[in-house]
Amino acid sequence: MAFTVSPPPHIKEGVSVKKLMWSRFIVLLPLCLASIYLFGFPALGNLVAGVLGAVFIELAIQKTFKQKVTIGDGNAVYLGLLIALMVPPAVPFWLPFIGAVFGIGVVKHAFGGLGSYMFHPALATWVFLKLSWASLMVPTSVPQLGSLSDLILETGAGFIADASPIAMIGVLYLIARRYIEWRIPLMYLLTTVVLVFLLGDPLSYVFTGSFLLGVFFLATETSTSPITKNGRLVYGVACGLLTVIYGYFTGNYIEGTFYGLLLANAIAPMIERSTVPKPFGGVEA
Amino acid sequence: MSDVIRLDKLPEKVIIPMRQHDGIACAPLVKKGEEVLVGQKLGECEGSDLAYVHSPFCGTVESIGLMPNPSGKRILSVVLTPSECTQSVEFVPEKNASPSRLIQIIKEAGIVEYYEKPTYLALKPEKRIDTLVMNATFPLITHAYLGSLDKVLKGFSLMLEASGISRGVIVVRADDKESIKAFKGAVVDGKPLTIAPIIGKRHADYYLEDIDDRIIVVAAGKVTYTPTMMNLLSADVMGRKVSLGHEPSDVHIVVCGVKSAKAVYDAISEGKPYLENAVTVIGAVNKPGAVIVRFGTPIKDVIDACGGYKGEPGKVIVNGSMGGVAIYTDEAPVVKNTTGIVVQTKAEVLQDETTACIHCARCVDICPMNLLPTRIASYADMGKYEECEHLYAMNCIECGACAVVCPSKRHLVQLIKYSKLQIHNICAAEAMEEATK
Ligand code: SF4
Ligand code: SF4
Repeated sequence: MAFTVSPPPHIKEGVSVKKLMWSRFIVLLPLCLASIYLFGFPALGNLVAGVLGAVFIELAIQKTFKQKVTIGDGNAVYLGLLIALMVPPAVPFWLPFIGAVFGIGVVKHAFGGLGSYMFHPALATWVFLKLSWASLMVPTSVPQLGSLSDLILETGAGFIADASPIAMIGVLYLIARRYIEWRIPLMYLLTTVVLVFLLGDPLSYVFTGSFLLGVFFLATETSTSPITKNGRLVYGVACGLLTVIYGYFTGNYIEGTFYGLLLANAIAPMIERSTVPKPFGGVEA
Repeated sequence: MSDVIRLDKLPEKVIIPMRQHDGIACAPLVKKGEEVLVGQKLGECEGSDLAYVHSPFCGTVESIGLMPNPSGKRILSVVLTPSECTQSVEFVPEKNASPSRLIQIIKEAGIVEYYEKPTYLALKPEKRIDTLVMNATFPLITHAYLGSLDKVLKGFSLMLEASGISRGVIVVRADDKESIKAFKGAVVDGKPLTIAPIIGKRHADYYLEDIDDRIIVVAAGKVTYTPTMMNLLSADVMGRKVSLGHEPSDVHIVVCGVKSAKAVYDAISEGKPYLENAVTVIGAVNKPGAVIVRFGTPIKDVIDACGGYKGEPGKVIVNGSMGGVAIYTDEAPVVKNTTGIVVQTKAEVLQDETTACIHCARCVDICPMNLLPTRIASYADMGKYEECEHLYAMNCIECGACAVVCPSKRHLVQLIKYSKLQIHNICAAEAMEEATK
């Protein structure tokens, strides 16, 4: 009888990278539907363009360099969707496509691929698009100070993601299942709320789809946030702080979120290094 | 507790390794063709970390050589063809022996703890010890001994006597109702046992202060403390955290198993050496459960006793699916440190492919020892063992939890274990250098 000989452990949890990525993708779908409902065909086209761009470049790179094709793990598709969600709904389709090509091709793959990138590809891409096509990357309208109903359907929305903040509710399920970290979003939200309150800006001005996308999907990106437990708490606070600083002085909390997070990405390794946990039971008695 | 069976059917062939724990190997005392009796000493050795080997069977020595072993390696073993004869060497029970004589008997009997240390050494660490902890947190194993609980408790008392340790704490899982019930009904020193729950900061010491019983039972959480989890056991049960590079005896605790307690009873009150153990069999077999097996019995006979394989077996794992060894043949025998056998069907065998770490930190969140498994593993992979040491790799209890939750299916435990080995070697080499200076 032939038995398999392999190293322990001999049982593992069913969770895989693939599951993590696709579940995030699925949780973002209601938001996409809401945006299509609100902005119609342009939103749909842009979302598709983002995903296509991501898949196209990943395939091209992996085929050219004869690497294993990893489209199946869902990471590129998910990032492509994120990138598309972060552009205004009425831009030409080539913009999210180029964005995705840049995000996946340069920020993801040139930096070593999944797990190795230092900056969140979607964030870096957003900044790249903003700098290159500043006139196109203006939100249709900065969300007006509005009632809380804006959380359900943001009528004065800026980017595609701002269509309906409430449509991201599925993320709570992912957090409950530990598919998404809870420390970062919690600290990020708390810090932002407290600071905004202290500074006297209206909260409804802050709670936009883009901000929530940042809290739940961008800040929690695993490769660009610290792995230590305390580090993640600190990182959440840092995200909040940086977002509010930018938002307060420019009056634009949407851009504040994205710029703030990119900065937070940059200091993540430092936070991680200074929060390495103490050993169990102390070093020397 | 009634579901424990005793394997009485004689195997065709018995393989008795000369080394059944992580210590010194014995030299065979018998020759090919010789007849041996039950309880006859087959292997003797000299040194400090030894466990004599005795024959649990009556039979003829067929050969002596390297044979399959549950450790995955081949080990020098005496192969016997057992016979129906049940003749044994003379077993002499001891009464009113002095503590040093008790230790002597325990040593002669070749009793080994579940964490690979010979019991006679474990009981006498030459440090100040105030508590002997019996780890009864393997429910199936504990159940197998509930039928002879009085003997186990007697053995435990004898261990206290032999070692001169004043108090005993028996740890069971809080969710192991069956064992708790059995312990409730047991009597030690003429008094019923006290069962105490561990709540928050209220550790075993708290109860020992109030009660003047020599032995108490504590129900601690829902954790099964495997051999690598000794430090966690001492922290959870006694509230004494063991610092890096130390062991429970440094915080005045000695740990023993249920099996060794029973074996101590057998050795002292019945004069028998260590010949058999309860082994649990779970997974793809027709009748999972605990079996009392004589050492040297091939694993396939144990599986037959459990109704045989269910479906097509793909993997046979010795000592737990989290850290155990997947053996390549079921001819390998049960030995003193065998506690459990897990069978997986072909379909259950994992076929995962490892991918890059995505820094999801799931391994960090799950690690009971507060380590950064992914970092240690990455450094180990790069050969930077000193970095591993700085991240306290030596604290890893090899529980395997990190590898279980990893979505990238990385071989975290192997890498960390390997780094521990390398750190150990580096330290040893440094010590050598110091010494030769
Ligand atoms: S095996 Fe993994 S989870 Fe367990 S102690 Fe070691 S590093 Fe931590
Ligand atoms: S669980 Fe696996 S993928 Fe996640 S951080 Fe740990 S090693 Fe990396």
